[in-house]
Amino acid sequence: MFNKTAALGKNAKSTPLSRMTKRSEFTIGLVVIALFLVAYFATPSFGTKYNLMNLSKQGAIVGVLAVAQTLIIITGGIDISGGAIAGLGCMTMALMVRAGFSIPVCILVNFVICIVCGFVNGVIIFDLKVPAMITTLGTSTIYRAILKLACGGNSVTFFKPGTQEYVDIFYKIGNLDIAGFLPVLCAVWLVVSVIAWLVLRYTTFGRDLFVIGSGIEVARLSGIKVRKTFYMVYSVAGLIYGIAAMMFAGRILRGATNTGEGYDMNAIAATVIGGASLAGGRGAVTGTFVGALLMVVIENAGKAFLINDYILEMLTGILIIFAVAMDMVKSRKKG
Amino acid sequence: MQDNTILKIENVSKFYPGVTALNDVSFSIKKGEIRALVGENGAGKSTMIKCIMGVEKPDKGRVLMNYNGEWVVNTSAVEAQSHGVFANYQHVNIAPDLSIAENYFLGNQPKTKLGLVDWKKMEKESRRIMEEFRIHEDPMTKIRELPVAMQAMVTISKIYVNEDIRVVIFDEPTALLENEKVEVLFNFIADLKSKGVSIIYITHRLEEIIQICDSVTILKDGTYVDTLPIEKVTKDFLIQQMVGRPATDIYNIEHFEPGEELLRVEGFTDSKHFRDIDFTLHRGEILGFAGLVGAGRSEIMRALTAVEKRLSGDVYLKGEKVTIKNPSDALHKGIGFLTEDRRADGCALKLDIKTNVNMSSYDAISKFGIINLKKETTRAEEYSKNVNVKTPSIAQLVGNLSGGNQQKVVIAKLLCCNPDILIFDEPTVGIDVGAKQEIFKLIEALTRQGKGIILISSYLPEVMGLSDRLIVMAQGKITAEYNKEELKTLREADVLRKASIEE
Repeated sequence: MFNKTAALGKNAKSTPLSRMTKRSEFTIGLVVIALFLVAYFATPSFGTKYNLMNLSKQGAIVGVLAVAQTLIIITGGIDISGGAIAGLGCMTMALMVRAGFSIPVCILVNFVICIVCGFVNGVIIFDLKVPAMITTLGTSTIYRAILKLACGGNSVTFFKPGTQEYVDIFYKIGNLDIAGFLPVLCAVWLVVSVIAWLVLRYTTFGRDLFVIGSGIEVARLSGIKVRKTFYMVYSVAGLIYGIAAMMFAGRILRGATNTGEGYDMNAIAATVIGGASLAGGRGAVTGTFVGALLMVVIENAGKAFLINDYILEMLTGILIIFAVAMDMVKSRKKG
Repeated sequence: MQDNTILKIENVSKFYPGVTALNDVSFSIKKGEIRALVGENGAGKSTMIKCIMGVEKPDKGRVLMNYNGEWVVNTSAVEAQSHGVFANYQHVNIAPDLSIAENYFLGNQPKTKLGLVDWKKMEKESRRIMEEFRIHEDPMTKIRELPVAMQAMVTISKIYVNEDIRVVIFDEPTALLENEKVEVLFNFIADLKSKGVSIIYITHRLEEIIQICDSVTILKDGTYVDTLPIEKVTKDFLIQQMVGRPATDIYNIEHFEPGEELLRVEGFTDSKHFRDIDFTLHRGEILGFAGLVGAGRSEIMRALTAVEKRLSGDVYLKGEKVTIKNPSDALHKGIGFLTEDRRADGCALKLDIKTNVNMSSYDAISKFGIINLKKETTRAEEYSKNVNVKTPSIAQLVGNLSGGNQQKVVIAKLLCCNPDILIFDEPTVGIDVGAKQEIFKLIEALTRQGKGIILISSYLPEVMGLSDRLIVMAQGKITAEYNKEELKTLREADVLRKASIEE
């Protein structure tokens, strides 16, 4: 219908501001701020420094996992094995620390394992043509089974070998605040998000993800190396799960059989609330960031208002559906 | 009831944000009338159909239907269908994972006494319908496994299954069909007419309108121009009315003296679509490929660009033997391929024009994988202007563009790679006269620059009118080749005969 409007560039030049206000992350961002302010002034507990720092730490791990999820969802895929991979990485580090390996080696092995797990997902999805949902459902079960085998079903604390003392670096990751106000976990969340944002905006890899999400055949015939990009995106997701594994290690200071359980759905929710389309071709790290923020603010504000936990869960569910439905209505109007 | 009018469109207007799709359009259609609806893309034809089908509600005015002597307004597709109004849309709209038979009886399966689906009856009935439409396939074949032309035929024949048919809308039904199937379609339409069914027929092939329609309604830029009996119109007259400019022969482009050899293909053979194919292409030359759908023309090009595998055969570029490993390699070696189905594998519909234009050649404007965003924008603007994409901004999603403009975006994408050889596979399917002409002008400009063009088209006037040399294919083999001199006197009937050789 646009072929009768105007020649290229003649009118309808949208300003950066008007473009920003149209984006879904803008709307969600406003909701986050409104909710935050209400909770801040209306309850005694929400605005305390302790609570706010705690809130940001809660958001951090989901936020980081959701960055990986965003990259994958943009390609039209999905990954529900992120929690299991991070859990496996975390447990591996705990076991290695206890066995006396040096910390850098433990961290390196963690990353290798997580990247390999992600890569395997990519190979199964691309070469065996198993849908991403099924692949990662299967591999998440496998990865978690390996985790359980490795630890024999017990949780393993990050103690220095032969002592009852936490390993320094992990303790700091989970508990240190940079300059007294910015938790390390939170800083990691920010850094990972910014890097991913840069990658999506400035790199050919980022563009290729969008093209693949819009249509694999289109991408292939346009000369994009689809196989390589698939391997890459799932491996990069693995790398991010490796970072999440270290965050888990810092926050709970042990590897457990259930580390990371339930996080994938939250990560997907954050991504989708942030405006990504599960059909692929659409998604943004900024959106995912506010999406994750919204989820923790709701939970936290709910607790500050003393809302029943179960009701709160229900509200979160309603929110997810509401956010996506709003987006659908908007895009239909545009169409 | 006063008359035998079946549809009355009264002062219908429809507005979309920024666009007036229909502006105060009124006309009516009689029982048993075959009415053509013509106009350029964007003239409002699709919106008109949606209003008639009740899918869209007019912002002003109304669409009335005479249902057994009562004037009714259909407010949904389901309601329209229950009143006997059916539409055959431009894009194949059937369930791809169901079989032909299941699609025929979707939501209306024959039942056994126990209330279970009567598969035997369904298959038998389907076979009968398919016989009628000369679809030689197993009724249990899934739609996805059929060639596109066959899928289109199934969607057409699906209308036949209904018992109470009063109005049928055909939107570009012949775009994907080969000649023999077109005839089947026309017989079907004649049959419907004889039963008093009214037809609304939309096509860009004006010859067809003159051949089968009783009258024609012309729309232009969302407004009603005129309705005329078919005896009073000619093809040239229609073009003039539609585009508002005098009709020139749209195939009349400047031709150039072919230069050095760009491409030579020898002994191309694959497992089932084509065998022993040899041809050459020169600088500044347009090499046409004519043939029926399924003759293997597209498959050769897909093999040439390594989209699909082949069994044997060699490719020489400027005299040098090359191996093309994958589509990306083909582009790098200077072969750009505009595929038959732009929606499926030509453009990324969900992305903006900027990304679409650049997506084949980001390497050229990036260092270590980091894109120069400024160049990305200027390149997109420059190339989309060169091919004359009509859009308010390059931030527009390609899915929102008309077919002709989508096609131009794909061409811009290919030109960004600066290929020597361009393969255009059915470049004008489903696009309007004006856009067609622009694409032909583009082809002319490209040959002037010394590029070699391979043009595949199932539409004979087009491929015969544009080519410097013409290859005719039938059932995977080359059956004839005509040079420039021979083309001047060549008749369509000769080509058709060569294209339909039975072994």
